Parts: sequence; structure tokens; C-alpha cells
Amino acid sequence: MHKLNLTRRDFLKTTGASLFLAGVPIPGFTKDKPPGTISVILLEGGMDGLTAVPPFGDPDLLKMRNIISPKDYLKLNSFFGLHPSFKVLAGLFANNQASVVHATSIPYVKRSHFEGQNMMEGGGLSPFSEGSGWLGRALELINTPGRALSLDMPLILRGHNENDNFYPASIRNSSKLNTKLIDAISMAHAIESSNVFSKISNKSKNSVIDIPRDPASLAKYAGKVMSQDEGPLASVIRIPRFDTHARQGADTGKHADLLGIIDDVIAGYREGLGSAWDRSIVLTMTEFGRTVAVNGTTGTEHGYGTAGILAGGTIQKSRVISQWPGLSKNDQFERRDLMATIDYWSVCAACIEKTLGLDHETIANKIFLRPKLPRVFDYIFT
Amino acid sequence: MNEQFRVSQKLGLMFKPDESVPKDIQSWALSQLHKKSPAIGIKSVSRVGKSITTSGVTNWPKHLQPDLEERAKRWRIQRAFMELSRKEEKSQAEKRRYEIENFFGETDALKFSHRNVYGNDQLRVRFLTFWTNHFTMGNIHDNQNVIGHAMDEAILANLNNNFSEMLFKVTSHPAMLIYLDNIWSAGENSKHTRLCKNKPDCHAGLNDNLGRELLELHTVSPAANYTEEDIRNSAKVLAGWGTHLEETPKKMREQGRTTNHWDYFKKDYAEPGKKMVMGKKISPGKRGLRQLTDFLANHEHTIKHISTKLCQHFVSDSPKKSDINQIAKAWRNSDGDLDQIHTKVVELAIKSKEAKFQWPMTWLFQVVRLSGATYFHGWDQVYNWYDDNIIRNNEIFDELGQSLWATRQPNGYSSNKEEWLSGEMFERRIRFASAIQRGGGTHQLSVDKIMNRIGANNATRKLVDSVGMKEESRFIALMCSAELMGLENA
Repeated sequence: MHKLNLTRRDFLKTTGASLFLAGVPIPGFTKDKPPGTISVILLEGGMDGLTAVPPFGDPDLLKMRNIISPKDYLKLNSFFGLHPSFKVLAGLFANNQASVVHATSIPYVKRSHFEGQNMMEGGGLSPFSEGSGWLGRALELINTPGRALSLDMPLILRGHNENDNFYPASIRNSSKLNTKLIDAISMAHAIESSNVFSKISNKSKNSVIDIPRDPASLAKYAGKVMSQDEGPLASVIRIPRFDTHARQGADTGKHADLLGIIDDVIAGYREGLGSAWDRSIVLTMTEFGRTVAVNGTTGTEHGYGTAGILAGGTIQKSRVISQWPGLSKNDQFERRDLMATIDYWSVCAACIEKTLGLDHETIANKIFLRPKLPRVFDYIFT
Repeated sequence: MNEQFRVSQKLGLMFKPDESVPKDIQSWALSQLHKKSPAIGIKSVSRVGKSITTSGVTNWPKHLQPDLEERAKRWRIQRAFMELSRKEEKSQAEKRRYEIENFFGETDALKFSHRNVYGNDQLRVRFLTFWTNHFTMGNIHDNQNVIGHAMDEAILANLNNNFSEMLFKVTSHPAMLIYLDNIWSAGENSKHTRLCKNKPDCHAGLNDNLGRELLELHTVSPAANYTEEDIRNSAKVLAGWGTHLEETPKKMREQGRTTNHWDYFKKDYAEPGKKMVMGKKISPGKRGLRQLTDFLANHEHTIKHISTKLCQHFVSDSPKKSDINQIAKAWRNSDGDLDQIHTKVVELAIKSKEAKFQWPMTWLFQVVRLSGATYFHGWDQVYNWYDDNIIRNNEIFDELGQSLWATRQPNGYSSNKEEWLSGEMFERRIRFASAIQRGGGTHQLSVDKIMNRIGANNATRKLVDSVGMKEESRFIALMCSAELMGLENA
């Protein structure tokens, strides 16, 4: 596995990842249990799909970005390779448990992180148009409350009133939580904040769980609780700092280290989920890809098309799903970015259909608010 | 709450027990805008049982507030030591000693906490925090050594100036130039890039990170519908500005004819020729940046964007269009005079009776000030003091999920209440209230005294009375009441 030469503390400082678990079935809720679990790895900053999954068969790749392209990639087929940081993912590919969707993006072309991130979590028609998130709306439709593991409640999971979060506190000399006190505070608040305090009240009745906060440990923990009978159905992990404007690196370096973290997180899920891996899907998503050309500081600027990585036992056959647009200037989006030929919402929709058991029409209409969203289920799951 | 405390909650940090509460709160608030006060704080804290002794509140020592040159010099010393420690084994104690002497992130962050807790310029400190968040500068490549300097000298020092001055001073500050990668950027047609093309392992050219965020976050926002071409041209104007903190004075003189990191422009990296940004023609050379920031500072979209942010931060959780328009009007009428803009914000915040939810860090400082607790280390204890009862300054911010030194995204923390409604975030408030009450010392005001002083409303008193006689529970209930968190009552 890719090793970062850092202490755990440094590692936490550099990555700042956070985990969100969601979709804990309501006890006694009589409804068919959804068939699987879904986990989303949010890659914040704009992941460079052309480095993660280099299309080495395209003659323009090395012409445009020799200095940042990995040389020691694993061949996935005659056209696409896998970055050497993906050790675990490479094994899953060999076992038909992972796929890549390439030249894809959410339909957002304006290259702002903050608009793009809002849209990737909100799943609406434009940035800041939705107050809830696409995964939150999916959980609302199957009526299962969610739980997040982080200090904040991320937009992607908002949309279900019963959602809750968890992140172990470490404040010296503070007293144990007092349920009666918290209930009193909750009662004195108006509905919105009262709801939040009542969740702390529920938590104060349970024993304290101590989990390390690094991404791989969080993923392992998430996998473990999702594998349990009454466990959550969805989880989200955030990995920040993909915004590699300078000194991006190639086989090794800044971007390679971040890809290594994705690999660690997938490995964590695999281990934590155990036999539940067979009914699970883990997918990455990012707000946009990066420019085809290298910029002046051996990095890349904000772009459009990128790659999505899928892993899980629900995949029957590994493949690279792509309608390759080409990398020449004329093939690029606005003569600078990789064109996106697959709408990534279709990919998310297929993953929801497979694991949460909703039909495509409902997903397209009620979650992504796009009645005409294409169904790509068969490309991924058959 | 009585009017004095309601206003100081919205716009300031609450009155400390030893502070007199002004009768005319609006005059007080407006006079605070012009308050000049140095960084003050405490040297050391010692504890015997529950009893705490401090050295008293005085000015921060000069040697802990070095100038830019000294900060860069310390960075060079630290970098050289780190290089050396890769080659030869160094003891943990020695590594720690170097960090204490040469890194300023933790020291500056403690200074910020002291300013908040002990300062007599509470309203100015709130505006300092607002603008520091607007111009987010996260710790990257250990620019932690200069973030605090940017806060003091580029932001606080310009609170009574024109926004265009603050914008230029922040944009050209090394903390920002390093954070958003500008120090490496070179124009495509610059001398540096042209020479580089003939060398086999040389790579040079433009980096548009700061050029983009200058438009998107710091000024006009995407609502202005600028193009990628505008972003690139903005980056071309910026090309040449800034350098690494470890650059030697000799090399700085050669490249930029100065050793001043805050006025450092590498001619060889500059893109020659005029540039067009959003229809504005910008001159070549060093003076181009000032032209660009001046143009952006008073752009109609900048006025709308920042007026909205100010309104949401200080006036109301759901800012009214009419309030935003009034701030924008003050901006236009004064050509961006921050005094006029802030005055309008203060007036509107007082006039609006709506609740304003307070950020975790603001709330924490308010709780400490209201109770008179001693909850932060002294400045001579940044690295070398352990107290069972108090967590370290940087750990406090980690736990709060909010720090002006953290490595984070350049859009900063949201003033939107929705972003902060989470069980864990609220649980931190319960725990911090508990820890402050337990560890803050015997001289703290009692809950009853605090409630009388601030004129707590009936709902808050009812809540506090319902949780029993234990002072700690009453303190938690008070500080986590809707009233003290800046939320609506049930």
C-alpha cells in the first residue's frame, strides 16, 4: 500500500478528512430492507482524472502533460491505465470488483470550487438551488434517517429531519453529558435548534465510541457499522486538497499521495464491510476535473471532465466505461479541458438504484430533478 | 437581554465583569470603530487547586510580534534546521526548541484569543475576524509565520481606510501570495518563462489560483459573469508578485530590488503588455495590480457581494434586501470608505431586532468574557505549559471546528446559520461551557449575577431555574440558551 512518510498527527493535519454515515433503519419500521449500502468519497478541490486513470492510448496525453503523467501505471486495457498509487484498487480490478467511468462530470462548467462543491452535494439544477443533498433526498424517499460522522452536517446528507452526526469530542475537564440538562435546554429552544439538542440528548444515553480520525480508519469504522443488521445504509467521506495548482507530481508527489488516500479509504471500506462488501458500492466524486495542459507551476488549473472510481461487490465485471472524446485542442471543452461525455448524475443514479432499491424514474425526478437523466445502470452493474 | 448586551453580542464580544457598560450603546458602538488599542493579554497563569493567579493584563511583548523581515528570517532558520535534521538525528527537545523560536502560528493564534478575551476593542476585533475570514489565508508551506502579520497589518490597520487599500494590502501580502500559489506564477511571455523553455528540466508559466479567487471570492463573485479570459488576465496581472519566505535577502535584492516581502515584484516573472480584465485596461508592470484591485474594489458586483456578506454576518440570519441595499448605498456614496460602510452595518445591526446566530469561536470568547473566566494560557506558556484544566489554544479551535490558521478552503466559514446546525457542533458548546465553568477559576461571576447584568429574558431564567441548583448545570444552561447562542426562543 502507498505509504506516506508522516506521523499520524501530521497525516490528520494534512488530510483533514471527515466521515459521514447515514441511513440507519428505524427500528421496527416494517419495510423491505434496501438491498445494499452506498458510500461516497467526496474529493474536494477537483481531482485530476487524467492522472488517476491516464488514457495512455491517446497520443496527445504525453504531448500535453508528460511532466505530470505517471509512467509506472497499471494497464487496465489497451487504452487506459491506473495510477500506481492505486494498489488495492488494482487488485479489485483484477477481481471484477471495481470500474472506472472516464470523461465524466457533474453538469457544471464554471470552474468555481464553491459553486461546484455545492452542486455536487446538492445535486440540484444549479449551485445553491437546493437546501438538501442528493443522498439525503434518497434516504428521505426510503424513509431511513441518516447519521454523519463529522463536526458539521454536510449538505449531501441534508434532507431528512432525523439525520444526526457523530464525531468524538476531546475537551479536557468537561463533564459527562447530562441527559436531563440537555433535555431542558432542548425544550427551551425553538424547533430548529431544539431538534439539534434532542439529538445530543439521545447520544448522551449511549456509551462513548472512540475512533481515530484518519480517513482509512474512518472508512473501516463506517464499513463495520454499515455491515451490521441495523446499521446505516450510506456513508460519505470527504478528502480535501485535490486543488493541485502547483507541483502536482506524477508517479509520486502531492496528487499521487492523495490518490493513495483514496486507495486507503477503499481498502478501509473493504475490510470494514466484510461480507457486506458484496452488496455495497463505493464511488468517488469531485466538483470538476483539471486542465489538459500543465500550467506554469507544474500543476493544473480548474477544468471540467474527470474520472469517477467505483468499487464494491455489486460490480460484476470490471471495466472502463467511457465514450472517449479525445485530448486534441479541438476535442477539448473550450479548448482547455477534458470534455465530459457521461453525466455523472447518471452514475450516482445507477448506484442508488442498485443499493437503495429505488427505480430510475423516481431517482431522476425526485432526487436529481432531471426527468430526462439517462439510465446507465446496465453499463455498470451487468 | 438588555440593549447594551444585545448589541455587544451581535457586534462585539460582550462586556467583561470589570468593564463599565455604556449607557448610549450606539455611540459606544460607533466610537469603537475608531478605537485604537494594542494587542493585550496575560503573561502567565498559575493554578493552586481552583484558585488561579495571572500576571495581569498588559501589552503583548514586542519580541512576540516581530516584523515581516524577522518572521521570514526565522522561517529560513527553521527551514535550514529541518533540512539538517533530515541528514542527521536531532533530539525531540531540540526540534521543539526550534519550533518555539521560529514558528509563529501558535503564538499569533494565542494573541488573537487574548485580543478577543482581554481587549477593549471588541467591536474592532469582530470586524477583524470578519475580514480575515473574507480573505481566508490557510496555513500552507508554513505561511503560518505571516498570517498573523497580515491580520494585524493588512486588515486591522486598514479598518478605517478605504476597502481598496485593504484589498491591495491583503492581495500583495505574502500570506495570501503563498496560500494561493502566486509566488510561483510567471507570465507565459515573461523573461523567466522564455529562458526556461530552452532548459531541459525547467518549467514555468502562469498559475491562475489567486487570479480566480480574487474575482470569485474577494471581490465581484461569479454573479459578475466574468470569463476564463478575465481570470487568466487577472492572473497575468498578478504574475511576478511574491516569493518564498526562505528566499535570501541577496536573491531578493537581485530579483526584486528589495528585501521587503510585502512589496516584492519579480520583473522577470511579469507578463509584458497591457491586460484587459472585465473590460478594464490594466497597465503592464508592478503598478498593474493596484489598478486592478482599485477597479475591483468599487465594482458594483463587489459592493453587492460584500454588502450581503456583512449583512448576514452582523445584522440578521435572513438579511433583508433593504438592509443590504443600505450598506451598498453607504459603500457607493463613500467610494468604499470602510468607516462609512461599518457605520451603516452597526446602525442596521442595532436597529434590527432579529436574532443573529454566533459562530462557535465568537460564542466561546463571549462566554469567557461574560463569566470573567481565565481560560487561555499566558504568552510565555504557548509551548511549555500543561494544565489539566485547560486545553491548548490550537486544540480549542480544532474542537470548535473553526480556526483562522487551519488549512482550509479559500471560501472561509459561512455566516449562514444552517451550516452550523449539527449535534456535534452544539455538543461542543455544552462541553466548553462545562470546562470553562469548572476550570476558569474562582473569581468568575455567578450565573445569577451574569443573568442580572445582561438582563436575561424570562425564557432563559426559566430554563436556568429548571436545571437545579448546581452552578455548573446552570452555567451550561445559560450559555447554551437560545438567547446566548443568538437564536430565537421557543
